[in-house]
Amino acid sequence: MSEAEALQRQALPWATAGKIAWRELRAGKTKFFFVLLSVAVGVAALTGVRGFSQSFQRALLLQARSIMAGDLSARMFRQATPEEQKQLEALRPEGVRETVVTETVSMAMVEGDPVPLLVSLKAVNPQEYPFYGTVVLNPAGNLRDVLNNNTVVVDDNLLVRLRTHIGAQLKIGGRWFRIAAVIEKEPDRMTAGVGLGPRVMITRQAMDETGLLQPGSRATERYLFALSDKLKVADVRARIEKILPDAQVTDFRETSPALTQGVDHATGLLSLICLVAMVLGAIGVGMAMRAHLQQRIEILAIMKSIGARSADILRIYLLQTLFLGTAGALIGVVLGLGVEYAFPSLLGKLLPLRPEIRLPLNPVLAALGTGILTTVLFCLPPLLDVRTVRPNLVLRRMVESGGGGLSGWWGWLKEHKLQMASIVVILAGLGGIAAALSDSWLVGKWFAVCLTGLLVFILGLSAATLRGLRAFLSRTRLHLHSVLRHGLANLYRPGNQSAAVLAALGAGVMLILSVFLMQRSIVNALHEDVKPDTPNVFLIDMSTEELPGIRAELKKQPGVIGDLEAVPIVAARVESIDGTPVDDLKLKNYPKRMLQSATLSWSEAVPTGTKLAEGKWWTAAAHGSDTAPSAPHDLAVVDHVAKRLNLKLGSQLTFVAGETKIPVTVTAIYKIVGEHAFARSEFVLPQGLLENQPVVWYGDIHTRPSAIPAIERALFASYPTVTVINIADILTTIQGVVDQITIVIRFLAGFSILSGLIILASSVASTRFRRMREVVVLKTLGATRNRIATVFSVEFLVLGLLAGAVGALFANLLSRILLHRMDVVFQRDVRGTVVAVVGTAVLAVATGWVASFRILGQKPLEVLREE
Amino acid sequence: MIEVRGLKKSIRNGSRVVEILRGIDLVIPRGQFAAIMGASGSGKSTLLGLLAGLDSPSEGEVILDGITISAMEEDKLAEVRGRRIGFVFQSYQLIPTLTALENVMLPYELNVRGDARKKAQPLLESVGLGNRLHHYPVQLSGGEQQRVALARAFVLEPPVVLADEPTGNLDSVNGQHVLALLGERQRESQTTLVLVTHDPQIADRADRRIVLKDGLVISDGTNRPGGRALGAEPVNAV
Repeated sequence: MSEAEALQRQALPWATAGKIAWRELRAGKTKFFFVLLSVAVGVAALTGVRGFSQSFQRALLLQARSIMAGDLSARMFRQATPEEQKQLEALRPEGVRETVVTETVSMAMVEGDPVPLLVSLKAVNPQEYPFYGTVVLNPAGNLRDVLNNNTVVVDDNLLVRLRTHIGAQLKIGGRWFRIAAVIEKEPDRMTAGVGLGPRVMITRQAMDETGLLQPGSRATERYLFALSDKLKVADVRARIEKILPDAQVTDFRETSPALTQGVDHATGLLSLICLVAMVLGAIGVGMAMRAHLQQRIEILAIMKSIGARSADILRIYLLQTLFLGTAGALIGVVLGLGVEYAFPSLLGKLLPLRPEIRLPLNPVLAALGTGILTTVLFCLPPLLDVRTVRPNLVLRRMVESGGGGLSGWWGWLKEHKLQMASIVVILAGLGGIAAALSDSWLVGKWFAVCLTGLLVFILGLSAATLRGLRAFLSRTRLHLHSVLRHGLANLYRPGNQSAAVLAALGAGVMLILSVFLMQRSIVNALHEDVKPDTPNVFLIDMSTEELPGIRAELKKQPGVIGDLEAVPIVAARVESIDGTPVDDLKLKNYPKRMLQSATLSWSEAVPTGTKLAEGKWWTAAAHGSDTAPSAPHDLAVVDHVAKRLNLKLGSQLTFVAGETKIPVTVTAIYKIVGEHAFARSEFVLPQGLLENQPVVWYGDIHTRPSAIPAIERALFASYPTVTVINIADILTTIQGVVDQITIVIRFLAGFSILSGLIILASSVASTRFRRMREVVVLKTLGATRNRIATVFSVEFLVLGLLAGAVGALFANLLSRILLHRMDVVFQRDVRGTVVAVVGTAVLAVATGWVASFRILGQKPLEVLREE
Repeated sequence: MIEVRGLKKSIRNGSRVVEILRGIDLVIPRGQFAAIMGASGSGKSTLLGLLAGLDSPSEGEVILDGITISAMEEDKLAEVRGRRIGFVFQSYQLIPTLTALENVMLPYELNVRGDARKKAQPLLESVGLGNRLHHYPVQLSGGEQQRVALARAFVLEPPVVLADEPTGNLDSVNGQHVLALLGERQRESQTTLVLVTHDPQIADRADRRIVLKDGLVISDGTNRPGGRALGAEPVNAV
């Protein structure tokens, strides 16, 4: 036994493994450029898109919060008891700030005019209110400076109707106040409820001094809450619902369905874009490492022949992979941060909403981790292939191949069981990353399912296609042109990476096309929900007699676009639900007092601005003349009321309108999708049932914002009791947000598609070394460069078309499922799909050409000498 | 000692099965220099690969110093190769990204603990490459590369060295130099040397000459002093 033998056998030291790995990296700079490019572009897209989209979402949610002026609101018809107040105060140290907004109606009058006007009074603490958004005043000023115990700020409409001006005195209850400013924008106007008469804002202390708040008065207390960043809205909401059991608690996401849906859809799509960036990068890395290891196969055999075990070799290439992953991820993070900071400038004036860009530590760390982890995960199968490299390759190139039939497959599976297990690990890893990265669980889940489906399908398809091709060529090869024959035969020759290229390209096409299809459908849906002609002025308290005159007056106004939408409103009270009288009902977080003043309406079809969620809307024919109030009738309930009153299809209610009892059965539940007058009604009945009841009409119109003061004055002149509510500014905010979401998702989708194309191109290009030897042999035999390029074109054309077709199929499937789950209509796009298939073929052929250009020019002897 | 019993190797090429070795029986005692000869396709390299545990036989056994290596799993075989067998190839098979010194140190680092440089540097100096320690293979001539390979084969002082046409890629001067070094090292360390060659002159230097044809040993005999081979009947009748 030699001295060396006496020493203990050991694994290859990490330092030596690292040295070999590093030397190889240095020696193959060009080759590893593609690996670095894939990781860097993937991570850059991930950092840039994720960081920017998080900042953007924060900005969007801030806008959504401003429409409520808080994160949460609890509405009650009484003040909190001292015990409740104590519990609310106890939340403050945890980061929950709270302020009370009291709303009631009152009469107001000015000096020298004895005729009072009904006003909608809102008492706030100007030091705290609003938590989000700003009350814009004219003349410009800060609410906390302008509003004090001796002043009020008012709606422009009040000045018109009382023919008064800023600086004048206004009497409310028993006190006089100076009108300090006009309210140009009240952020929570939409959630504050439709008051009667123009808005007058006052301090809470001043309201107490007016003596209006007597026991039994119709004041609404709205507790607004602002939460610190670390708190979850849902958790705090549950606690507040417990503290204030008879308060109607809502969170900011419920204030504007269009806006919150926009944010949700944007979140879903942005999540998808992030995942796509990650997987595309990983595909690129996997392909490049595969090509790299295939080239190293002889070196691996040499190492094995001098005693290296698979574990030693794995150690070298794992280190190499880790290094590439880390370097690529670092480059990607720097690029990504650059992209993130550049986004707002690139988008320029198109994006007035300026997201506050912070140094996104979490997205950066997540992108770094994801870059390294996905690199390692996707390199696992080619790394594990190292085990199957036979050392006798040092003596001769392998000619042995697996037999056909079941035993061949079985043998292959047995030999590759670790690779199969690694695929399971990759999918589990991807699932984990998807869950961690994606803000949308739905997107993460379906993404993983479709990716798995695609991989299984595409690998099966490639095996079947290659077998089919082989059978086809064995019958027809002598009849085919040699270029075509050679190109097709290339697809299944030993050592070809057709299956891997097909899987990579197919998955890439699926992901890229899914992003395109989804952004298109989501943008369409957003614009459908917030059309430019969405009403921006509401008219309250119109009588049936006034309605034709008001319609005529509005038609005369030049700023009005379209007709007046009018909704009949009948005041009624709920007497019983499912046979239980209201007094005996046990309701949670729904003030019983709201059942005393339910707003009923009628419509023979699903009203504008609403969408049927459950059940079926009745038809006029079904009711005919049967409008006897005593017979049970259909009822449609808005979803949020149905939820709070625990109403389901088939639930029975009895309303009392005036002296008439109206028994009804819930046959439809609808939800609000737009800002229309019908959004104000809670219960809709068939037409005719309520016609004999006293009716007031609510209406909405869309006007040019600049024309609103003129319309207010014209209406006041003829119809002084009609209240005009201007929500143009809020709608402009919502419209603006939707437009910005559109711009951002289009831009980011474009960015993601572009980076995806780069990665896919580099994946195809990474196979070029494999073809070097073949090019040389063909050239030695006299083939021209054109001929060789044509042979490769046939190979890549078939790969591109196949991958394009399968990828497009799965893209349509994935986007259809996701959009369906997101409640967005899927827009079929035949042109986009065809472009994707043809584009993939063109990309594959073009990349094949570009990548082969250099090797086509190589002198045969240079390569043959190296053999 | 190398013992080969009923060794067969066939490979599948598509649907065709090609028999490369059709039943070989051999015993090569410790310290012997055996040359394997034969025409292209006779199975020389395959036999060498099986002796080294680079491949597994379809049938039969290879026993190295009493250890049956033909049924061993890959990692165990790697260990055997690392500690018991040195290799010299026709095309040198150096790792292109490692220097001459690092290439020679590698088997040591892969297989044992200790100061690899202390073993590798004197070996390289002894083959005349003391001034080429830090050169990469691409910076060395063919003869120099083969001398590095030689040093690598002997760095762990293995009981067996296998050489596959070690002078096949070299001119005659370099070829002679490499052969001289190989013989010198083999004699010094009493290594069993099995060398595959086409060249009868090289085979003449061996203690024993084994001739293969169509996967069978057709001649196996010891060389007379003076370099002429002794005639022998085929061990395996065709």
